[in-house]
Order: sequence, then C-alpha cells, then structure tokens
Amino acid sequence: MTSTRSVNPLALNLRAVVGRAYPRIIGANREPSWVFFDAILPLLGIAAYVFIYEGFFRAPGADRTFANAMIGFVVLGGTMTAFWMNVLWSMASQLYWEKEMGNLQLYMMAPMSRMALLGGMALGGMFMTSTRAIVTLVAGVFVFGVHFDLANPLMILAVFFATLVALYGMGMMLASLYLLYGREAWHMSALLEEPIFLVSGFYFPIRAIEGVGAWGRAVLFGAAIIPATLGLDALRQLIFPGFFGGKFWLLSVELEFAILVVLCVVFLVLARVSLGYLEMLAKREGRLTSRHQ
Amino acid sequence: MDLAVETQQLTRVFTQRRKIFRRRRNGENGESEGPVTALDHVDLQIRDGELFGLLGPNGAGKTTLIKILATLLLPTSGIAKVAGHDVTKDPLPIRLKINMVSGGESSGYGLLTTRENVWMFSQFYGVSSKTAKARIDKLLHTFGLWEKRNAKVRNLSSGQRQKMNMIRGFVTDPDILFLDEPTLGLDVNASRVIRDYVKSWVKTTAGKTVLLTTHYMMEADELCDRLAIIDHGKILAVDTPENLKRRLKKETTFRLEVDPLKDTSRFKTIPGVKNFSLKSDGGASLEKLTFILEDEAAVSDIVSEVVRQGSKIHHLQKTEPTLEDVFISMVGRSLE
Amino acid sequence: MNATVNRHWRSFKWAAWLGWQIESNWTEPWLFAIYSVIKPVAGAFILVLMYVVFTVIGNVQDLARFNFVYVGNAFFIFVGNTLFGTFQVIQADREWYQTLRYTYISPISYYTYIVGRAATKVAVAAFAVLITIAFGVAFLGIKIDLSAWELPAFFAAMALGAFTLVGIGVSLAALSFLTARHVRGLAEGVPGVFYLFCGVLFPLTVLPDWGQSIGKAIPLTYWFHLIRQITMPADYFAAVPTGLTTDPLEIMALLAVSATGFFLLSIGLFRLMEYLARRAGKLDMTTNY
Repeated sequence: MTSTRSVNPLALNLRAVVGRAYPRIIGANREPSWVFFDAILPLLGIAAYVFIYEGFFRAPGADRTFANAMIGFVVLGGTMTAFWMNVLWSMASQLYWEKEMGNLQLYMMAPMSRMALLGGMALGGMFMTSTRAIVTLVAGVFVFGVHFDLANPLMILAVFFATLVALYGMGMMLASLYLLYGREAWHMSALLEEPIFLVSGFYFPIRAIEGVGAWGRAVLFGAAIIPATLGLDALRQLIFPGFFGGKFWLLSVELEFAILVVLCVVFLVLARVSLGYLEMLAKREGRLTSRHQ
Repeated sequence: MDLAVETQQLTRVFTQRRKIFRRRRNGENGESEGPVTALDHVDLQIRDGELFGLLGPNGAGKTTLIKILATLLLPTSGIAKVAGHDVTKDPLPIRLKINMVSGGESSGYGLLTTRENVWMFSQFYGVSSKTAKARIDKLLHTFGLWEKRNAKVRNLSSGQRQKMNMIRGFVTDPDILFLDEPTLGLDVNASRVIRDYVKSWVKTTAGKTVLLTTHYMMEADELCDRLAIIDHGKILAVDTPENLKRRLKKETTFRLEVDPLKDTSRFKTIPGVKNFSLKSDGGASLEKLTFILEDEAAVSDIVSEVVRQGSKIHHLQKTEPTLEDVFISMVGRSLE
Repeated sequence: MNATVNRHWRSFKWAAWLGWQIESNWTEPWLFAIYSVIKPVAGAFILVLMYVVFTVIGNVQDLARFNFVYVGNAFFIFVGNTLFGTFQVIQADREWYQTLRYTYISPISYYTYIVGRAATKVAVAAFAVLITIAFGVAFLGIKIDLSAWELPAFFAAMALGAFTLVGIGVSLAALSFLTARHVRGLAEGVPGVFYLFCGVLFPLTVLPDWGQSIGKAIPLTYWFHLIRQITMPADYFAAVPTGLTTDPLEIMALLAVSATGFFLLSIGLFRLMEYLARRAGKLDMTTNY
C-alpha cells in the first residue's frame, strides 16, 4: 500500500465512546416521550411496593419503628432497579438490536475496540437511566417522606459508582451472549428478570433470604455475584445505619465495596474476553452480520 | 506493484448452525440443509489504485468475499490479505484502512440527522470532529444531499439513504473501499452521481482502491479497470472488460425476440452454437434469446428450429459482445 | 356478514398461531415449561420475603393480609400479561420483527390480529396464575376456598376481566402507533398503574384519598375485589377491610358495563390513531437508538 496509517488507540476509542453515546443522549432528547414512559411510569410500580409495606404495617399490633426505613429500602431498590433494567434491556440486548438494524457489521468492521462501543452505549444509557433514578429518589423524599442519612457521602458515591461499573461490565459481558444466542437470549433475560429481582433484594434486605430455608445461604452466595445485590446492601447500610441492629446486613460495607471493586475488574475482563471470543465464533459461523438469525 | 487485496485458495463453506436452546428442525419435508460452498478456492489479486469489479449473479459468492475481506467473516481455508495484512490474524490494521458500503442497507439511527449519523460513524475510525465535519459537508454537496443535512434519517428516501451511506463510506478516507451493489434499486440519476464520484475518487486520488460487486453489466463495464467473473463461488475469468469482450471476437453474438417456445433444449445440439441464454419477462408475450456462435452459419439452423416450433421471429440482430455475453459464453445463462 | 365474521376469525386464528410460535418456539419444551413456572414463582417470592421481613421487624403475623397480597399478586399475572401481550404487538411488529407494514396491508382485521397475538400470552398467564396459587397452597399456607357452585361466577369474572383488559390493551396499542419504542417503559409502567391503584397488593384504604378515588374509578379494582371474594375463605376476606362494595352481582354488572365501554373505546382509539399514523407516515417507522 502506498499510505500507512496510525491512530492513537486511546484517542480512537475515546472518540468511539463519545460517538456511540451521542445517539442515545440526542435520541432521548428528540423523543421526549421517554421521560413519561421510562422515568415517570415505572415510578408507579415502585410506589406499589412502598404501599405494600404500608399495608403490612396497618396490621393490628404491628410495630412501626422501622416502617420508614423499609419504604426507604424500596425507594433505593427502585433506583438501582432502573440501572439494572437498563443493563438488561439496553446494554445486553443492544448488540443484537444493532444486528437487526444492520449496524453491527459496520461496527465490527471499524477499528475501534468493541469495549469502546459498549462503553459508549453504557454512558448514553446511564444518562437516561440517571434521570429515572433521580425521579425515583426525589419521589422517595418528597412523596413518601423517606429520610436518607448522608453522613458518609464519599463512601456512598464510591459504592454507587463501583456498583454501576460492575453492573455495566456485567451488561457488556451479557451483550456477547446475546450476540451468540440471538433471540433466545431475550427470552432468557425475561426469564431471569423476576429471579434476579428476588435475589438482588430490590424490595427487601437481601439477608432475609437466609431465613427462608436451607437453600437460602446458597442463593445468597450466588446472588452476591450480581453487583446490584452487594451494592444495594452496602448503600442501605450507609444510608440507613443501625437498621434493626444490623441484623439484616449481609457483610460489612468495606468488604462489600472491596468485592464490588473485584467484580468491576472481573466483569470488564470477562466482557473483553467473551466479546473477543464470541466475535471470532460469530465470524467463523458467518452470522455476525446476518439479520433475523 | 503493491497489492491491495490478495487471496490464495480462499474457501468459505457455510454449515448449518447448531443452537443450544432451540429445537433442531429439518425442513418442511424432513430434509436437512447441508453445507454450502460460497467461495471455492478463489485466487485473486487486486492492485493498489485499481477499480476492480466482481461480476456474478445472486448467490455467486460476491458478498461472502467482501465480508471476508472486510474482516466480518472468517475463511474456512485459504488466505486473504488486505493491505498486506492477513484478515484472520491481523484484522485491526486492515480496519483502519477500509470501509464498506452495501446497497439497500439501513445504517445508523432514524432519530439522528444525516450529518449526525455520518459523524457518529467517523468517530469509530478516530477521525477528528473538525476533519469529519469538513469532509461531511463537502461530501453532502457532492452527493446532492446538502438540503437534507439536518433531516432525520428515518425521513430520507431510499435513494437519499444510500447516498448517505456512500458519504459514510468516504468520510473515513479509506484506502480500500468495498462497494457491495452500491446502486442497487436506485434511479438513474442517483446511480450516475455515485458512479461518477467513485470513478473520479479512484482516478484522482493516489493509492485508493475500490472493490465493487455488481450484477449491472453497464456499471461494471463503465467503472472497472479489471473484472472477475464469479459463479458458484469460483472465479471463471479475470481481465479488463475490453479483453474479456475481445475473447468473444472470434465468436458471434445474435439476439432474437420470438414468440414463446415449447422446447429450447435442441438449440444446444445445433452445430456451431457455443452457448445461449433465454430471458422471459414472466408472462410477457415475447422471449429474448442470446446466442454465442462459434460458427455464424448456425444462425440458419436456429431460425429453422424456431419456425419448426411454430414460433414467430419478431427481431433478429447481430451485436457487438457485451459483458453479459461473456458471462453467457462461460456459464450458459444470463446474469439476471 | 358471513364474510366479515370469516375475516375476523381468520385474522384471530392466524395471529394466535403466530403468537404461539413466537412464544413457545424459541427453546426446548422443557425449558419453556421451567420458564413458565420460575417466572411467576420468583415474582411471588419477592412478596413472600417482604412479608417475612415485615413479620420480623413488625413483630406480628397476619396471615389474612399475606393471603390478600399473595392472591392479588397471583391474579395480577393475568392482568399484566394480558395487558402487555396486547399493547406490545404494534411496537414489536414495527420495531423488532419489522413486519407491521406487511401484516397491516394484508386483507385481515388488524384489530383482531392484535387480539389474536395476545391470546397466547393470556393462556400462558392463566397457567402461571394456576402455578402460583398451587405453589402458595402447597408450600406457603395460602388458603383457597373455591366451591363447585362458585365456579361459574369465577369463570364469568375471569371472562369479564379478560374483555376489559383486552379493551384497555388495544387502546394502549393504538396509542403506540404514534409513539417511539417504549415497550420496556410501558411494560413496567402500565401494569404499575393498576398495581398501585387497584388494591392488588394492599387494601385501597392504604392509599391517600386522591389515590383511593382513582382506584375506585378503575373497574379492575372491583375485579380484584370480586376474585378475592370468590377464592379466599370468608374470614380472611373479611379481615382486611377494603372499603368497597361486596355485592358480587353489582360488581359483575359494573364489569360488564366497563368491558363494553373499553371495547368501544378501543375501537374508536384504534381507528383514530391508525388514521393519524397513516397521515403522519408513522405506521412503519423505527425509533431505536
């Protein structure tokens, strides 16, 4: 060839991240109806869970001491649910969507890292999802009167971001599975939705699972792999310190944070490896770029 | 001379995929799909700065070859090199130098504007925003899409969308551009704009190579420096359009328009007939026959056979050979 | 007349067949069976654990209230799936399968087609309700009291509920002719409205006054009330006051009126939105980003 070309990989991948995040953010602004559908409507479901506790605590003779914290648990769980749903439905399935739309082959032919592509999607997705999360938190404070204790803001932020990175890392890893299994993976996601809601403890302290039966501990151990589980437990410990004498907490905040950091690394590495492997496999089988397969 | 693309014994076989979760099913009648050889030991050399065409009917293996060269698909065996790099072992340096545009594709996001969509793709190649925007504006003018620069992609017509795709292909300033049926389904004017630009881009810019697949004869004849004729995954001939047509100079091409015939199998047995093709416009009253004759005298036997079948000849013409005639001569059927 | 009935029947039959193919064909039958069981049971377990936590920290057991929540949740599966199964058809066909334009121009009734596509989800949901209830009775101490003479009333209530839900679902589907891809948001949010205001998981009296007013204006609130009245033991039913009428005939009449109302509304909305979408050229748009 007569010309040689070199591009700074960091600059290339950063541009790719911004490039892919752009349509998510701009697209969201161009179809403002998403604010209603994706941020306001889901709030109703969360509110329903709040009122379940309200309903329980109306039982004759019930001790209401921790009722507010329980409602706070639901609000916090609802906030993290937003990110989990985004990871499941807009990250993991996105490569499959791109394939159906005919974009995937153009992405796979481009020189940027596939991680940058997914990173861009994640960044764009986080923007939209943060709106929903903030709406949920604001509703928690002003509608349901939840009192959040923000005595340790730095740690709260650290745990929150570690959870997000690990969660989206998991989404990146799942994306490659979706690419491999196509439409079946969508159903797997739908299948896993309720079980994951269950074992992540979105609406109750996760430690409660332990009390259900002999298999509780095993489930608990498995649940710890999902970053939302540990992240949520740590955030609840930080925001509702001293809840029920700490009886429902899983591990110490420091240990949960450390595990989350490890999970961040593990999921990102796994995502990279599995994406590379599955891209190779898909290229070998020739269906990386074929729609409706 | 440097080679932009080189393949050696390149073969690609598609086998039925196995699915983990899905029930394995045979076809309606219980038959199972066997492996399909899309490329069969293809040897090809495309020179740097060349506008090279792949000519063949649907299913000939053109898109499979492009996908392998564009690092989207792995070969089953053989070697493929683009810009000197192996597509299997070393795809990244290739990706920095190539781009691809397919006809009839829908790329990008319907909610973004034309400009935004092309800009987004340029970012995946590390083009600075400033450079990308300058190139986009220039290309929008060139392709007559400037008026639609701020229109959302979902509101573009298919011709406008294809022009946007072409801009996406050129915005990264690739050294090698793969064009897979780029004018598919476009009107005459839109096709003309695209052809003119592709031709001038290769001729006026040093070191730019285009690999074009098409089943439009005129397009291949007009644009390509050299052509490969491909059918059933095999390369049948590689040469300049002129040389390919010159091969038929020793032979004569006759075209006939006749009433529908009962039986065309006898034409093959007439001495002096090398090959022929039949085109019927699906229920139309006339059938078009193209004969490649080694001996011009065979035409009287052909006329006799047509008359014997009670058919009437509406048109008979001796013509200069076209690329389609070259294809008929080699394969024994027409391209479309 | 006969031709019209035939057209609707053909539309429904083929759409139901297609729905079943989409629903069941993605996997091996055994995985599909597991899928159909795990999803509802895991969903129910979230509530079980919420109750477990409450009993520990609230220091009280209230089995009637737990029964109330569990039965409400089980029948909500029917509500959620019927609604989702109906309103997602247009967006799924338009954005995912991209077949809407071809189905739409075929000589079928598109309205009936939507209902047909939802039929499979309704059937699967009915099965999930059964599984959830059976699981609750077998392992969680849930009490069901459904005698043979109550069965006609039960099935009548289920049918009226299904009609109302399909009417609401098609109305929502009609709206999605004009909106971008929001299936996930709708899937969470629309059932959320009913989850919150219809006294599914808690008695309506827990809501603030304005919330109770909304709840009392939604026919499904009475449907849940009626279903509980038919299926729960009388003492459990009486132990959780809801502030609603307990006359089954009155509720049946109300449901019949509302089912008719929503049916008419869905036809009107469907025609209007279809017309507006055609006029705006949005029938076959794609809005992914």
